[in-house]
Amino acid sequence: MKFKNNLPVVFLTPPMILLAVLAFVPTIAALVISFQNKELGRTGTQFIGFDNYLDLFSDRRFANAMQVSLEWEAITVIGTMLLAVLVAVLLFETTRGRTRALLCTLLIIPVLLPRVTAAFVWKFMFNPLLGIINYPIRELTGAPIEFLSGLQTALISVAVVDIWQWGLFFGVILLKLLETLPKEPFEAAKLDRVKTWELYAYVAIPMLSAPIISLTFIKMVESLRSFDLIYVMTRGGPGIVTETLDMYAFSQGFVESGRISYASAMAVLMLLATIITFTIIFKWVRKWQNV
Amino acid sequence: MAKRITVGWLTSRLVLVLVVVFAVFPVLWTLLNSFKEVVDIVTPIPKFIFTPTLDNFIYVFERPSVKVGLINSGIIVGVAVLIGTVLGVPAAYALARYKLKLGDDLKFFVLSLRFLPPVAVAIPLMSIFLDLGLYDTRVSVILTYTLLTLSTIIWLAVPAFERVPANIEEAGRLDGLNPYAVFLLIALPVAGPSLFGAIVFSFILVWNEFMIALMLTTSEAKTLPIVASEFTLLGRNVPWGILNASVIVLSIPPLIFLGVLSGFLNRVFKK
Amino acid sequence: MKKFNGVMIGGCMVATLLSSAVYAGVCSKDIKVLAQPRASLTLLEERKAEFEALAGVSFNIDFLNENDRRAKSRAEASTTGRYQVYYIDEANVALFAENEWIVPLTDYYPQAYDFADFDPGRIKVGSYGGKLYFAPIQGGGDFLYYRKDLLAAAGITPPTTLVELKKAVAALHDPANGVYGIALRGGRGSGANVWRWMTYFKGFGGQWFDGDTPVFNSAAAVKATETYLELFKYSPPGTSTGSWTEVTEAFNSGLVAMIIESSPLAGMTEDSKLSKVAGKVGYTIPPSPLTGGGYGHGLAIGAKANQTEQARECAGLFIAWATSKEQEMARLEAGVFGDLNRSSVFDSPEFSAKYNSEIASALQDTAKVTSINYWPNPDWPDLGDRWGIILEELITGSRSDIPEALDELEDYAIKLIARRR
Repeated sequence: MKFKNNLPVVFLTPPMILLAVLAFVPTIAALVISFQNKELGRTGTQFIGFDNYLDLFSDRRFANAMQVSLEWEAITVIGTMLLAVLVAVLLFETTRGRTRALLCTLLIIPVLLPRVTAAFVWKFMFNPLLGIINYPIRELTGAPIEFLSGLQTALISVAVVDIWQWGLFFGVILLKLLETLPKEPFEAAKLDRVKTWELYAYVAIPMLSAPIISLTFIKMVESLRSFDLIYVMTRGGPGIVTETLDMYAFSQGFVESGRISYASAMAVLMLLATIITFTIIFKWVRKWQNV
Repeated sequence: MAKRITVGWLTSRLVLVLVVVFAVFPVLWTLLNSFKEVVDIVTPIPKFIFTPTLDNFIYVFERPSVKVGLINSGIIVGVAVLIGTVLGVPAAYALARYKLKLGDDLKFFVLSLRFLPPVAVAIPLMSIFLDLGLYDTRVSVILTYTLLTLSTIIWLAVPAFERVPANIEEAGRLDGLNPYAVFLLIALPVAGPSLFGAIVFSFILVWNEFMIALMLTTSEAKTLPIVASEFTLLGRNVPWGILNASVIVLSIPPLIFLGVLSGFLNRVFKK
Repeated sequence: MKKFNGVMIGGCMVATLLSSAVYAGVCSKDIKVLAQPRASLTLLEERKAEFEALAGVSFNIDFLNENDRRAKSRAEASTTGRYQVYYIDEANVALFAENEWIVPLTDYYPQAYDFADFDPGRIKVGSYGGKLYFAPIQGGGDFLYYRKDLLAAAGITPPTTLVELKKAVAALHDPANGVYGIALRGGRGSGANVWRWMTYFKGFGGQWFDGDTPVFNSAAAVKATETYLELFKYSPPGTSTGSWTEVTEAFNSGLVAMIIESSPLAGMTEDSKLSKVAGKVGYTIPPSPLTGGGYGHGLAIGAKANQTEQARECAGLFIAWATSKEQEMARLEAGVFGDLNRSSVFDSPEFSAKYNSEIASALQDTAKVTSINYWPNPDWPDLGDRWGIILEELITGSRSDIPEALDELEDYAIKLIARRR
């Protein structure tokens, strides 16, 4: 460049400083608070070292919450991606033009609904006595399924809402990606009388593997935000079967007791776990995509 | 080529119909319920035909808390998105167009902010805002949401600027435009539509945000999702019709952006 | 008649004028109330103009469901404290009073509104440390509600003992024909599943604490839990994680033969707009040895938002107006039976005209078996909620070892007490 260009400095400094302040101040504060015994409505906060962390390791609800959070990640990420692939292939194969555009619009609706409202919509449909999902089940079997209070069904039922929102949305994105693929392999395959599913399994999906992996990564990050759904639908119940880490931290800090410091210690561990895991996954994805 | 109706063809159509029903039915059912009296909702056999009532909506709109929530959400989300846009779009441009020593690190830093569990941000911020006397104010929520909007807009706007052909910027430069003018007069208009999508996305993100607002507000700065959750979780003698109506009211603003977002997707993936 | 109406209106206007003259200038800004939804409070909102005429300011009520109202009011009162009036219940009056988030009510409740008229049971649960903190909105004890038609068809008389109750529940249980024996609260919460469980626990002679030492881990608690779990086999779907809403909805829609619940349900059950079983229900006291869950909810004056004496007087005026005899008579007329608290209203001819003598006598009888089952301590919500979760786990079947569950609660209680020192 001919002249000294200060644009990057001017454009980047204010936002980066703002982001750094907004991100690091709470992070450091969380760390400090986690070494205290701060409680809502109680004065006389003291530093108590690692006590909160030590308590966490003998807290069965914390161990349970970690497990539930991992299960949640697995169910929602896999469910979303499977539904997305199904929807994309289905729309690509069976629709054209305006119909496709209209269906795409309809399939985006769920992801735009605020999570609290999406959660309520489904909670109401799952209701064993009034819910419309249980109406046919009741008619056929005589007894409703208690989706949200069954030990086996609760977490999956909440996950359905998450997959409903993201799976359909990602399906539309994948469809748009399919549309960008060159036509030749498809036509060649048709001439060779290759079965449709083989065409997608061996040709189309591998061609899209890079964006699919990016989408999976995005979904893994998004799945960390399960709180709204669980808060409205189950509150972590039945028992603690759907109690994820954020739900438990919230519960300890605000609902059952006001143990801000204990909740903070949980938040710090969560923060460490997610930052480390996602950094590793991200670097791995990057490397994989660059090959 | 004449279409042959095969088992495969039929199955795929059937599955397609099921997917569409799965997508749309819950919303339509809620819409229907929002016009029902309680007696028409509390029936063992679902009712599709009934005498509609507007009472549920009237009740929702007459609640002072809905008005407060609407005003709060409007101001908080508006300002947070505005700050995110004004600071985020230029930053994304700088990251996309200039080879910087720290470029990749900054990009990763911005992305890594998306990994922050909201609860880890909200708990300490609550404590800080309490000490500063900013707890339960719009300022505190705006600041926190700016973290979300700014990082999201940068993250989504970088690819938008990368897609702007480098040669038209080069042409502008040869015409004697300075770097700022190149950004404003060339890159911005070309990337504009995609940028708009990024901004809309960040809008939806914070419009629907729940957990942080739940922890940082108690009464004065409550946003609409909090008010809606309060409605939907009201215990005694659940006014089901009212709950359904409040769901519809809260969902309208993001749905207005449906068209915008689907337009954005079409544009992004157009070759 | 017309003339009479005219006199009435004139009288009211004079009264309003007089009272606004008395209370003019007490209030300087609108009152903010944090409450849980009650039909009586909705009624208050419809009569806002009355209060505006009286005090020259208006009021706004923010509603949260019961569990959230408890959690949020604690978080709010301990931090910003922006509400002038809090809806408080028997279970957290200790917490609020001990932390001085609310101020004693007596000095600020105008004489003219006659506090002494409230039912003594309500006044009792609204007190802590010998001071009065709230004016009651609702309260009472428990009834055993039974479906006269179903019991008659099966030739069963209303059970008077727990043994009879268990037999009757098993005999009436017929889910294939849409009838469940009983409906119990299974969902977590010191005011939810624990609330109902405590009537068994106390009925079997259980105690919470001896001084600072927990003594609840006892045979009574084991037996109470076993009984509760046994009865739960006959409770309809949705109740294992549900509370008042789910059980009362199930009963009012005709799915349940018998239910032991708080007395306000009677008003809803007899309201044919809300209930399919109006006129089919009998009322009696809970079978022995169960104790009735004595409770009371009411309005209290916030401390932080009312720094000045004048502000407290204003909040007191609002509370007095909201809990006045006039309001209670209006509730009676609107059929809001659950929110009546004044002796003069229960004794009024309007009450006997509206509700059958069965309800009235059940109300009197149940007062005798009503007791305070919870642990009256600021830490009760914390302890009760913890037990609520463990109990929910037992009810939904994710754990089954009752002694182990009680040991866990005992550990929690010991740590809780230790943290307070």
